[in-house]
Amino acid sequence: MPASVADCWWRPFRNVGTAAVVYVDMAPDAAREAVALTWLDQEEQSRRQRFRFDGARRRFALCRAALRAILCGQLGCPNQQLAFGASHHGKPYALVNGQPAPIGFNVSHGSVHGLIAFAAEGRLGVDVEERSPARDLDGLIGSVMGPEERAELASARGNHRLHLFYHLWTVKEALMKALGTGLTPDVSGFEIPLAMRRGKKTGIFRFPHIPTVRWWLEDLGNEHFAAAIAHELSPDSH
Amino acid sequence: MASTGDRLKTLIADNLEVDGQAIAVPENLDISLLEAGVSSVDLVAFAKLVARDFNVKFTLEHCTTLNSVKEVADFIDSQPG
Repeated sequence: MPASVADCWWRPFRNVGTAAVVYVDMAPDAAREAVALTWLDQEEQSRRQRFRFDGARRRFALCRAALRAILCGQLGCPNQQLAFGASHHGKPYALVNGQPAPIGFNVSHGSVHGLIAFAAEGRLGVDVEERSPARDLDGLIGSVMGPEERAELASARGNHRLHLFYHLWTVKEALMKALGTGLTPDVSGFEIPLAMRRGKKTGIFRFPHIPTVRWWLEDLGNEHFAAAIAHELSPDSH
Repeated sequence: MASTGDRLKTLIADNLEVDGQAIAVPENLDISLLEAGVSSVDLVAFAKLVARDFNVKFTLEHCTTLNSVKEVADFIDSQPG
């Protein structure tokens, strides 16, 4: 691992209830990438080699090494004892000495920005996206937004419209990742709470098909990127 | 007429990029768009293009569950024309 905290390419970003979010700087940096590589196990190094693009290799190495450092710190285990399994839908989970570890996490990266969210309890999902102007924003809106969301976006203009789209999209993707079923339910089949669509930073959400489960939503975006977290609330929380 | 694979390669070259660079799809189509670093937003847009250009039902779910462009081509070819 890096010799000092100052050498780390990740840093605390936000606490969200009982979850914590870490920012990972994934800008090109050969020295950091070399250190990160030493933390990956054989399987991860092979996986990294299979990426065809330098950027994808870099993002995987930097993010996975940061994740390893965070989880080892939280679980109090050496890196060699930490491994990863994956659910049927591909959502990874941590193993220590082959046993599932008592921690949940989720990772997202877009371009040079990465976020890692983790919590001891409750499913969670995080998403980060750079707000790139889409070639066909109208088509995207028609594909992934519900009717009320489409109406909100129709009345927004210019840069605000782009920001609103990415705000809604990152919340939706964070929810889908938290649910852990991939992006399989139709994302236009549920809508982000009205208050959040209109600028509130937090909200509570229930999927129409599983109304007994509540999810805490929080906008994590800033001037550099759009981002959001979804964290499952325990049944007795208020 | 161009093969499904060649049409997909053109569609990808014309519409997708990662880190500002075009995605070079190999001859055998053995490349995952997700693992190449294509963003989820771009995948949604790409799914719409595939559905329109090939006149098949093709969603984001297909993009995330089909593991390579070869699998996308095979899926499209398996659909009734």
